[in-house]
Amino acid sequence: MAFIDISAVSKIFGNTRILENINLDIEHGQFVVFVGPSGCGKSTLLRMISGLEDVSAGTISIENEVVNDVEPALRGVAMVFQSYALYPHMTTFQNVSFGLRMAHKTAEFIAARVQQATGILQLDKLLERKPGQLSGGQKQRVAIGRAIVREPRVFLFDEPLSNLDAELRVQMRAELMDLHRRLGTTMIYVTHDQVEAMTLADKMVVMSGGRIQQAGAPLVLYDDPDNQFVAGFVGSPKMNFLPATLVGADATGVRLTGIGGGGNAVLPIVGITVAAGPVTIGIRPEHLRLVTEGATSPECLVLEGRVAIVEELGAESFVHLDLPDSTRVTLRAGRDAGRIGHTARVALDLERALLFAADGLRLRGRGLVQQ
Amino acid sequence: MSRTTALRGPVTVWTVLKWTLAIAIAIVAVFPIWWMFNVVFSQPGEPVSLNPRLWPTSLSAGIDKIRMIFTETGYLGAYFISITYALLTIVGVLLIASLAAFEFSLFKFPGRRIMFGIVMLALMVPTAVTIIPTYLLTSRLGWLNTMQGLVVPGLASAFGLFMLVQFMRAVPKEMIEAARLDGAGHFQIYWHVALPLCSNAMITLAILTFIQTWGNYMWPLIIGTRTEMYTVGQVVGMFNSPLSHHTVDTVMTANLLAAIPPLLFFLIFQRKIVEGIAMSGTKG
Ligand SMILES: Nc1ncnc2c1ncn2[C@@H]1O[C@H](COP(=O)(O)OP(=O)(O)OP(=O)(O)O)[C@@H](O)[C@H]1O
Ligand SMILES: [Mg+2]
Repeated sequence: MAFIDISAVSKIFGNTRILENINLDIEHGQFVVFVGPSGCGKSTLLRMISGLEDVSAGTISIENEVVNDVEPALRGVAMVFQSYALYPHMTTFQNVSFGLRMAHKTAEFIAARVQQATGILQLDKLLERKPGQLSGGQKQRVAIGRAIVREPRVFLFDEPLSNLDAELRVQMRAELMDLHRRLGTTMIYVTHDQVEAMTLADKMVVMSGGRIQQAGAPLVLYDDPDNQFVAGFVGSPKMNFLPATLVGADATGVRLTGIGGGGNAVLPIVGITVAAGPVTIGIRPEHLRLVTEGATSPECLVLEGRVAIVEELGAESFVHLDLPDSTRVTLRAGRDAGRIGHTARVALDLERALLFAADGLRLRGRGLVQQ
Repeated sequence: MSRTTALRGPVTVWTVLKWTLAIAIAIVAVFPIWWMFNVVFSQPGEPVSLNPRLWPTSLSAGIDKIRMIFTETGYLGAYFISITYALLTIVGVLLIASLAAFEFSLFKFPGRRIMFGIVMLALMVPTAVTIIPTYLLTSRLGWLNTMQGLVVPGLASAFGLFMLVQFMRAVPKEMIEAARLDGAGHFQIYWHVALPLCSNAMITLAILTFIQTWGNYMWPLIIGTRTEMYTVGQVVGMFNSPLSHHTVDTVMTANLLAAIPPLLFFLIFQRKIVEGIAMSGTKG
């Protein structure tokens, strides 16, 4: 059994089902990130693990012990809140030591633990300050310190960085990774920022509409998404989706027509059994490239479009093209790649293209699981 | 235009009117108190003679009167009763109101809204309506002429609950949850987190309770029929009564002594009182 085992868990608030049949394994020491759009139930799932929210159905176990009915404080979990939730009338020392004081530890024990935690977080000089006299990043560190001193089995973070400015967020992100490496404790982290999720996660759990859409290593989700939602959610700029019509499949692949308003191609995916009909091609911006007039290549489909927007980032640029059927595609290109309003030709690397059924599920080839 | 007026901004008709009004109100409010001082610290009869004075003339005459009142009447005992009554009521009201507000504002339990509604209804019932049943109950408990009879009926303060609930609602839920995860029990969360966070509201409630108990005349009058249970209010009432054989000077001294504690209280907590009244007014 995994370190944390979430099995068939659901959550119902009143009459609404917020979480639906959640199954998830978390290994000891893993950095797990829950990511998904606002309102998809990430916080609710995290709070159920912490014990602050009841489990409506299913079980959550930590180290083989079902914790559904265990008091939050006894689960060995510590949580860092988005709002930090520091006690405003207490100094940093008192905030960090609150849990230990509630557990009636000795003064020496508390002093040693707090010193250790605040040393790691560089809070030594701020011990006598109250939260009102701390900056956002410092408050964040105090909140983390309060979690560390309890030496929990699991750290839970609910969007801990969203109140910080961009620069500080990057810095704190690095500090968190460092902290995870040093402590080796299991961490579960909630964010709706997929970049944050990609950089932090050992295991990334993409959620939407109260369900886990896919869980796995960030790059696995990036390269091999299970459905159109995950494909579109992971990666920035987003994956391009082109509507097409499937007309048939044979040993060389699936034949598609009407791609982006007229292109025909054979996607090299074999072993698919679906009826003819509308499908969606997914292709990442880095698998598109601008080509010059007349150039063709066998495994690429070349489409024509008008350049709508060019985002210059210095080293590279993102070119947004409108295809004839007004689908907007984005491609990653070098500097000075396109001129707004001009027509450009774009080649799609069909080897890297993914295929999604009309209901959004991925159509995988080569005898892989079909749904 | 001079420099100072320029710095303070232009003097408009409105400013003049405002200040005139403020000063007029201040004179009306302060004069009776000043007149008490004047009468007490003068030779008997002097301020009201044919040739009246607006300022005190004799410190020793005043001290004599005060000494007389403390030694020859039950005033000192009444002071003790009043202060005990006020302090016990404050402690009780703060404790009960804050415990109840903690539950009502931060936790969900069956019947919460209905119970809170009933308590709030109590705010709309005038004391005069409840005073007879309360008296009957207190008397049946055998609490007439006792300190508990004086204090206990005043401990459940619907107003105090209402005010503290407004404040505690503002305590972020996450802070309570953080404390819960930190292993704090229900009472520890109340004591270490919720209570310190509304210390301002608690001070305000303490002040308002003091003002109310010190000035409470009706209930002590009804419950305390024996002289040793008289509060300052009642003793002063006796001095003031038409059949009392005290002179104006003595009556004024008794009144002055009754006014001093709230006056001191007000001077010390002036700022908090103004803030508190403003808060309890707008927050509701
Ligand atoms: N106490 C509650 N009572 C009723 N509904 C709730 C409650 N808490 C959350 N919800 C609902 O549950 C859903 C999921 O909420 P949750 O806070 O888990 O979302 P989230 O994924 O964390 O979103 P965000 O990124 O905005 O924080 C939302 O639709 C929310 O309205
Ligand atoms: Mg959330």
